[in-house]
Amino acid sequence: MDSHPKVQKYEEFVDGRLKPDLVRALAERDKVFEQQKVFSDLRRNIENLEKNSVTSLQTLVNLGSEVYMQAEVPDTQHIFVDVGLGFHVEFTWSEALNFITKREEKLARQIEDYTQLIASIKAQIKLLCEGIRELLELPAERTVPERVF
Amino acid sequence: MEETGKKGTVTSLASMFPVEEALKGAKRVQETIYEKEKDLGHLQDFVAENSNLVNLVKKLPEELNHDIMVPFGKAAFFPGRLIHTNEFLVLLGEGYYVERTSKQTIEILKRRENSLESQVDSLEAMIKDLKAKASFFDTMASEAAEGLVEIREDYVEENSSGWESKPVPTKQNASIFPEAENERVVDDEEYARMISRLDELENEELAAEKEDESDKNEKDTAQLNEISYQKELDYDLRDSENFRSKKSLEQTSGESNATAAFPNKHNDQEDLTDDVNYIGLVVESSSRDEPSEQKKLENNMKILKSSDKSILPREVKENVQAASTSRSEVQLQSSKPAFDSHKAFTGSIVEHTENLQTSKENSTSSQVSSIQPSKPVSRFKMQRK
Repeated sequence: MDSHPKVQKYEEFVDGRLKPDLVRALAERDKVFEQQKVFSDLRRNIENLEKNSVTSLQTLVNLGSEVYMQAEVPDTQHIFVDVGLGFHVEFTWSEALNFITKREEKLARQIEDYTQLIASIKAQIKLLCEGIRELLELPAERTVPERVF
Repeated sequence: MEETGKKGTVTSLASMFPVEEALKGAKRVQETIYEKEKDLGHLQDFVAENSNLVNLVKKLPEELNHDIMVPFGKAAFFPGRLIHTNEFLVLLGEGYYVERTSKQTIEILKRRENSLESQVDSLEAMIKDLKAKASFFDTMASEAAEGLVEIREDYVEENSSGWESKPVPTKQNASIFPEAENERVVDDEEYARMISRLDELENEELAAEKEDESDKNEKDTAQLNEISYQKELDYDLRDSENFRSKKSLEQTSGESNATAAFPNKHNDQEDLTDDVNYIGLVVESSSRDEPSEQKKLENNMKILKSSDKSILPREVKENVQAASTSRSEVQLQSSKPAFDSHKAFTGSIVEHTENLQTSKENSTSSQVSSIQPSKPVSRFKMQRK
């Protein structure tokens, strides 16, 4: 079969390049999702504090291995927020909320980008699979029901 | 060669275990080893974290407050401080938390550490096992690659031709000997069992006898001691009188003698009794064993009462002045009737055989005086304790 080497080449490309890329992109997107969740939680918490006008609070701090100790915050007006690269900036509540909305916008954009990237990788994989199928001259209808199912 | 070719089979190792298969097996085992090592790394991280936490938990209660940044979610902090530094909330599992102190938390963490250590141990053993397996696969693969062959030949006894007749006697020998040996072994085992049974019975008998005897002995010794003590007391009385006269006579020289004698006491128990005799408190030394001597000493102590510390073996080296005061005390005490010392005798026998060794130095005088009024317990009973 003269088409065989080409099929092998396509398969190698799908398995060796596209699929790892896809996995990596998915992992990255999951990370960004996590970040988004962290910041939305933070926003909700700050809004909660604002609503209840909390000036001091007591919490439990995780020391590691699920061992907790009581901690006290005498002044909640100033909050240090992680702005990336290990930097924390001291904000007031309103400043923090502003920052968080900006940050959330950025994260949403990143998620959009990653989603598009993932979609394109998936499209390439599908294209190559179709190419292989055509090269092997298999009937097109056979794969479709499986996918749908 | 022809014969063996007929009977035996030659299979190359490669045909039974293809090289690729062996290599595949080795690869798979290597993969599992890799996974297990990753797990091991995680576990060791946990162990390290745990020990760090133990240190932290130990250190935290040292101060009332600790200034920290209190985490608020994952991306934010508040400046704050730790309070109630000796109260920890520890997860027991299944969502149950308990409030514990630092020490109790450390106990929990130690238990966690132990379980982690055992997990690490088991994982290490597993990895060792897998490595052995991997090396086995490797050697098998290399052997198969080298073209090693396995030669298999069924043993047939019937064809005992010329060259095969030779091994027969050896085989017979081999077969006979084990039997004989087995028999001997069985005999030996039976014999040993019988002997051990006999020994057991004998021991039981002996133990029973000893118990009877020891009971009797104890009574006897108690009686003996009583007698000897009474004798001693008599002597005490008499001797103290002697001593008084002697003392008044040899007041000056006696003192100098005492100074010479006291340091000696420290050296030898024998000397000790002699010295004591010299002072004129105990004449009788009915038995040489230490406890009785020390009991005698107790008696002496009783008579000497306030000054007994200077006569105690450990503090014999105390200055002569104490000794001389003791002598004057003796003079005072010895004029008392023997009744007093008799009471002391019952008390001292009962109590001081037990704890003399440890509390001799500091508490004898108080004990003697405090025990005096207590009910006399039989020596027999006390020794049973």
